Amino acid sequence: MKKIFSDQTLTKKLVLIPVFILVLLIGSCKKIIDLSPYNNISETAAYSTPSLVDLSVVGMYNGAERGYYPANGTGRGYPFGAAFVEQGDCRGEDAVNLQAFYQFTYEGTYTTSTANNEAYWSDTYRLINRCNMVIDGVNSAIANKVITETVGNQYLGEAYFMRAISHLELLFHFARPYKETSDASHPGVPYRTKAYTTQVAIDDGTTQSRNTVAECYAKILDDLNFAETNLPGKSLRAGNLKIVRATKGAAIAYKTRVYQQMWDWNNVVIEAQKLAALPAADGYSLTATPDGPFTSNYANNESIFSIENSASNNPTTNGSLPQMYNGHGRALVCISPIIWRNPSWLADDKRRGATMTYTFTGMVFSEKYKDVVNFTDAAPVIRYAEVLLNLAEAYARRGNAGDATLALNTLNLVRNRALATPATQAYTAASFADNTALINAILVERRIEFCMEGRRWPDIHRLMLDIPAKLSNSNPPASAFTLGTPYNGPYGVVSVPYANYKFLWPIPQIEINANPTLAAEQNPGW
Amino acid sequence: MKKILTLFSLFLITGTLVMAQTVQIMGTVTSSEDGLPLPGVTIFVKGTTLGTLTAADGKYFLSVPVTAKTMVVSYIGFKTQDISIEGRTKIDIVLALDVFKVDEVVVVGYGVQKKREVTGAISTVKGDALANLATPSFDAALAGRSAGVQVTTQSGVLGVAPRFRIRGVGSISSGTYPLVVVDGVPIFTGDQGGQANTNALGDINPADIESMEILKDGSGTAIYGSRAANGVVLITTKRGSGGKFHVNYNNYFGIASPVRLFDLLHSADFVTISNEKRSNRGQANWASNDGAAYPGRVFDTDWQRAVLKTNAKQQDHNLSFSGSTDKSTYYFSLGYTQQEGVTIPNEMKRYSFRGNADQKIKKWLTVGASISVTKNELFGLNTGTNSLSGNIFSAIRQLPNTPIYNSADPTGYNLEPGANLVGKWNNATTIGDNLPNIVYTLKNNVQTSKVFHTISDIYAQFFILPSLNFKTQMGVDNSSTEGFLYWNPIHGDGKSSLGLVYNDYRNQLRWNLQNILSYNKTFASSHNVGLVLVNEFQSQRVNSFYGQGTNLSNEFFNQNLISGTYGIQTSGGSLAENGFTSYAGRLNYNFKGKYFLQGSVRYDGISSLPLKNRYGTFPGISVGWTVSKESFMEALSQVISDLKLRASYAKVGNVDIGNYPYLGLYGSAKYADYNGIGYSQAGNDQLKWEISTKYDAGFDILLFDGKYKFTFDYFMNNQDGLILAAPTPPSLGIPLNSINKNIGSMKNWGYELSAEAYIIRGNDFNWSVDGNITFAGNKVDALYNNLDMIYNYTIIRVGQSYRAIYGYDYVGVNSANGNPMYRKADGQIVQANIPTSTYVNYDPNNQTNVSVPAGQLGNADKKILGSSLPTYFGAISTKASYKGFDLNVMFRFSGGNMIMNRTRMDLLNQNFTNNSTEILGRWKDENNPGDGWTPKLWAAGGNFVNLSDQASTRWVEKGNFIKLSTFTIGYSLPKEILRKLNIESLRIFAQGQDMFMITPYKGIDPEMEIDGTDYNGTPLQRVITFGINLGL
Repeated sequence: MKKIFSDQTLTKKLVLIPVFILVLLIGSCKKIIDLSPYNNISETAAYSTPSLVDLSVVGMYNGAERGYYPANGTGRGYPFGAAFVEQGDCRGEDAVNLQAFYQFTYEGTYTTSTANNEAYWSDTYRLINRCNMVIDGVNSAIANKVITETVGNQYLGEAYFMRAISHLELLFHFARPYKETSDASHPGVPYRTKAYTTQVAIDDGTTQSRNTVAECYAKILDDLNFAETNLPGKSLRAGNLKIVRATKGAAIAYKTRVYQQMWDWNNVVIEAQKLAALPAADGYSLTATPDGPFTSNYANNESIFSIENSASNNPTTNGSLPQMYNGHGRALVCISPIIWRNPSWLADDKRRGATMTYTFTGMVFSEKYKDVVNFTDAAPVIRYAEVLLNLAEAYARRGNAGDATLALNTLNLVRNRALATPATQAYTAASFADNTALINAILVERRIEFCMEGRRWPDIHRLMLDIPAKLSNSNPPASAFTLGTPYNGPYGVVSVPYANYKFLWPIPQIEINANPTLAAEQNPGW
Repeated sequence: MKKILTLFSLFLITGTLVMAQTVQIMGTVTSSEDGLPLPGVTIFVKGTTLGTLTAADGKYFLSVPVTAKTMVVSYIGFKTQDISIEGRTKIDIVLALDVFKVDEVVVVGYGVQKKREVTGAISTVKGDALANLATPSFDAALAGRSAGVQVTTQSGVLGVAPRFRIRGVGSISSGTYPLVVVDGVPIFTGDQGGQANTNALGDINPADIESMEILKDGSGTAIYGSRAANGVVLITTKRGSGGKFHVNYNNYFGIASPVRLFDLLHSADFVTISNEKRSNRGQANWASNDGAAYPGRVFDTDWQRAVLKTNAKQQDHNLSFSGSTDKSTYYFSLGYTQQEGVTIPNEMKRYSFRGNADQKIKKWLTVGASISVTKNELFGLNTGTNSLSGNIFSAIRQLPNTPIYNSADPTGYNLEPGANLVGKWNNATTIGDNLPNIVYTLKNNVQTSKVFHTISDIYAQFFILPSLNFKTQMGVDNSSTEGFLYWNPIHGDGKSSLGLVYNDYRNQLRWNLQNILSYNKTFASSHNVGLVLVNEFQSQRVNSFYGQGTNLSNEFFNQNLISGTYGIQTSGGSLAENGFTSYAGRLNYNFKGKYFLQGSVRYDGISSLPLKNRYGTFPGISVGWTVSKESFMEALSQVISDLKLRASYAKVGNVDIGNYPYLGLYGSAKYADYNGIGYSQAGNDQLKWEISTKYDAGFDILLFDGKYKFTFDYFMNNQDGLILAAPTPPSLGIPLNSINKNIGSMKNWGYELSAEAYIIRGNDFNWSVDGNITFAGNKVDALYNNLDMIYNYTIIRVGQSYRAIYGYDYVGVNSANGNPMYRKADGQIVQANIPTSTYVNYDPNNQTNVSVPAGQLGNADKKILGSSLPTYFGAISTKASYKGFDLNVMFRFSGGNMIMNRTRMDLLNQNFTNNSTEILGRWKDENNPGDGWTPKLWAAGGNFVNLSDQASTRWVEKGNFIKLSTFTIGYSLPKEILRKLNIESLRIFAQGQDMFMITPYKGIDPEMEIDGTDYNGTPLQRVITFGINLGL
């Protein structure tokens, strides 16, 4: 025993070995805990090079295309990749929801915690924050000479454009229409123009009240005017980008929609004429046939702004338009007999043709979105046909001398291309007993032309209609689609009066929970 | 060291022999347990240093002075005995097992301690208690084994990790799983990726486990500092021992079946109910049992049984070799287990190898190494609770009057032509909810994970001085998982994308290095001092990548990604690292084994926190007092054999907070196919550790010579600075609408009581009972701005327990019109007027009046409907043996919690899908109001009628239960026969797990709740097994 432990040299060695190991390790210790991510870029670096600035701008569109759907952690196309179409249609009467997917929306049984409404609110504001971050980031990149002012201003134009159209989308669902009060002084939505990334900013943003509807529209127009000034015409973009990134034309076209919401007909006319006056390379025209914008949705002269989807990046099988709407896909929503059997939609109209609809197990589905395998169809945000019908309505309602003729002619531009024999079927001045009949014809034409494009709800909204009665949330029998008479029942979903609180979606509970300011400003009745 | 001392004293003894007048005493020492001789027993003459050891055959020879009166006989694991010599020269001694083993050594952090010196709350579970149980992972079998420890298997799917809670819920947003340390190496826990669930602990062969120590309080866990908030589980694997070569072979064969099935409607009732849903709305019939399509071919299909297996086969084989010499030990084992799950096509196949060896190279140096290698193959399935091809979601909805198969279809299955739906057969319409044929999808789609997992370590231990040693250990935990997913293009999830193949790979690598310096010395024969200094480094790296193809050229290519066989290809991957460095020390002091004091402190640095908060200090202190050693207790010593009081306090942390939770980040954000980046995480450079302050006070008492043993603890854990994904207003557009902040605080407290009683101890018959019970409370003390965190069915609210059930007060059905009714916050009863989907006031004096509109049911009308956490839980078990027979029965119980039975709501949905028999109690008309609880049927009106996605008292039920958790009966062959067969031991046994349950709960099993909600889970399994344990 003594022998073992009395050897001083050995003991020393034994003490030295571990000490040596320790010293070695302490040297490397900082490296062990001084780590930074590989998967992500720090927010402080996101605008530090021209390439990163460009990536951040593209990432803003990602927010428009995919969104984030909390229920399954993926994007379902909120707000612009698909959801604005699906929600816009399912709130109206011209689509029938067949399964559970859009049932809350369709039947009006949504609550403050309905996932669709939450995603609509949350994802749209998520996009808005990305816009504001791009605006801050690009401005600092210009200031830091990372990019030139010319390049930077184009980026800014895109961000202002996206910010404007996002807020408009929110106003459709969460605020009463512009005409609710004479001066639009009723509550709109908070119009966010600051980037929120720090706790200080969050605390500040939480104190912001709802802007009035009038304020919101003024800001939307400010943003769109800025965008119009700074955005390039589409001729300066190549390929799909002519349509799928914001352009000067898109900003102008959008203003016709905004002024239409405001019932400001003169300005609708002015903006529509401005669009028509763009140089040919930057301008738009109707495609030869009504299926043009859909058979070639990334390369046609009618689509003004669409959101692109690709095979590897899209709103998925749980959100993409072809899956939801196409009879060859999941076929969850069909065209309603209500519009299908509307007498204004002639039986031989090309928009009933095989390239545009598909009858499956007796029900008629839209064929506008075709790629049921890879979901690459664009979501059509605004196209020239809409600008024309906006213009037609503006003429009709403005009522200046000669406007009735202009309205009729403009309406016919859109309608005639869909008619089997325009020579005999086209509207003439004699088709309408009065101006109201003309306006009604324009409004019906919108429902037909934009059937299953999500435009029905914004029309119901701005026209302050009751939400019409609808077919019940299930497969209608084949007989319900037989043409010849207008559809007049049965209706399984009762009408919701304009005055009813359900006309608006509630500010979602997740917002109410986290935001005392908006908690006190919930839509009445919710 | 002890051995050296013993040998040394023997040497001294022999030297003195010739000097005194002596007597030779001889005899044999045997065990009271089995009568076999015991080698290596120490026999000393009391009051002298004279002594000897028994030989391999248990015999001893000892020369004692004629004056000697008493011999002291001691052996590890047996009670030390004083033997009066009384002039005898042949004394055979029978040693009794020390059942309570106060001298037992328990494993603690970075070392071992004598159990009697432990001042903390530590539970020990022996490996053999779990070894023969048929479970996919050993952790599941820990349920009920220890007070304060809740292990809940929530799903019958093999590979899903059970929920593991030590003394309550440790965190709100961060990890709540305890730290698991195998032979000193902290290992990965949780899912390891792939396309079927994989539980990292499922890769450990339960048969290799010698014992598990569960460190519950601050005293035990403080030395683990930042990782200890959720408790620590120390696993010691088997090593060679006993100086002999052992071969053991164990096996079992078993059959598993679901513990319960749903009561679904049969065809006749189904048709009635479906058509009533429609006729109530004035709509045409949905269902028909006979019709033009398939005249006369009426089916009553049990889709549930087609998806669930009542005869899943399970088998397990384990072979081990072990041995030891005085300089080395070794242990090798091979294991194979194959288990079929109760849901098709769930299966698990595990091949495991474990080896370890320790070698004393020099007197001052021991080295050792161990390695475990496991290949675990899991065959999973879609269990999505809201997925069209989710096994239970779909099976409970499939139409009973339609067949599974149809020979007329090219696939042989009943599919609706041209649609991605199960065939409607004679019904007027196709199934609701868009469901495919679930049997087809489960049988044709593939989801697998193949895990290759190695855990290895190597160490060297230097005995520098008798009182001082140094150990350095390097451990590596590495698992790689290959996942595969295939969606058949013909039908189901893959139809829309024309088929999908997906391969992924995930590699988890963690290395851990520890240097441990231990010092133990007794001063002045009363002051016992122990000191442990630790320095530890850990680094881990997790990377993954995947490839995916859709638009398959042909379903033939369904085994792997095959180049060029698909139209659209995508790929992806990720890489993340984290690490920590630590220094820790622990000082133990006790005076005469009576007064104990332990203090420890740990200083940790972790990569997951911002620079200024990167380092933290975690102290712990505990005291103990063995009252029974005081002189004033002597009078009671016949009753109280041992009594120790304990108390402890510590501050520990939680590192399971993600890799970079404090950074503001941009992540990849493609727009169509254009590369982009977008804001993905809000940063917070103020982020700090989550701190758990743990208090414990308790006592251990042995009565009547150890016949009864009680342990009592009061505990309180205060979790402070919980990192919460603090909700931000969605209208600010912060990613995930949250920012990580240290703003939560929560408290867990409770009482734990364990008791053991050896009621009968005899040669032939032994009977013991033991049990434990825990009463636990939980309260949330602070949240972000103290705002409620509201989930669909639960809420986290200050002043309430974590995830309390939160919903509406349902008061039943209006007997006049079948409308469901709720009580609003102001007490007004409102009815959900089914035809208009609006709320109207209910007037008991005018029940039919639906004309007074009421406000929408809102959050203000919701209230707390009960705690989702059990307020008490425990187990009682009994062991009995008679001659060769042994019996072991364990009951587990739990209760005090409420469960939102969301599955039950699904079973009452109003679409064209099947229902449970509960729907037969629906309101039909004023004269047939049904059970008063189930409203009028209304086709497609489920969202409104059932208030989908919201909890209400209609669905909230008590979660109390008591279940027969395990029941084992075994028979060991007598020694005489074994000797003739020349084998050491042979036992045959039969075992049942989860054999029956008593509960008021209406679902499959109250343990299937996840966060208080039971939602379309796969039924748990009941397993009956038979097997043998053979020792050579």
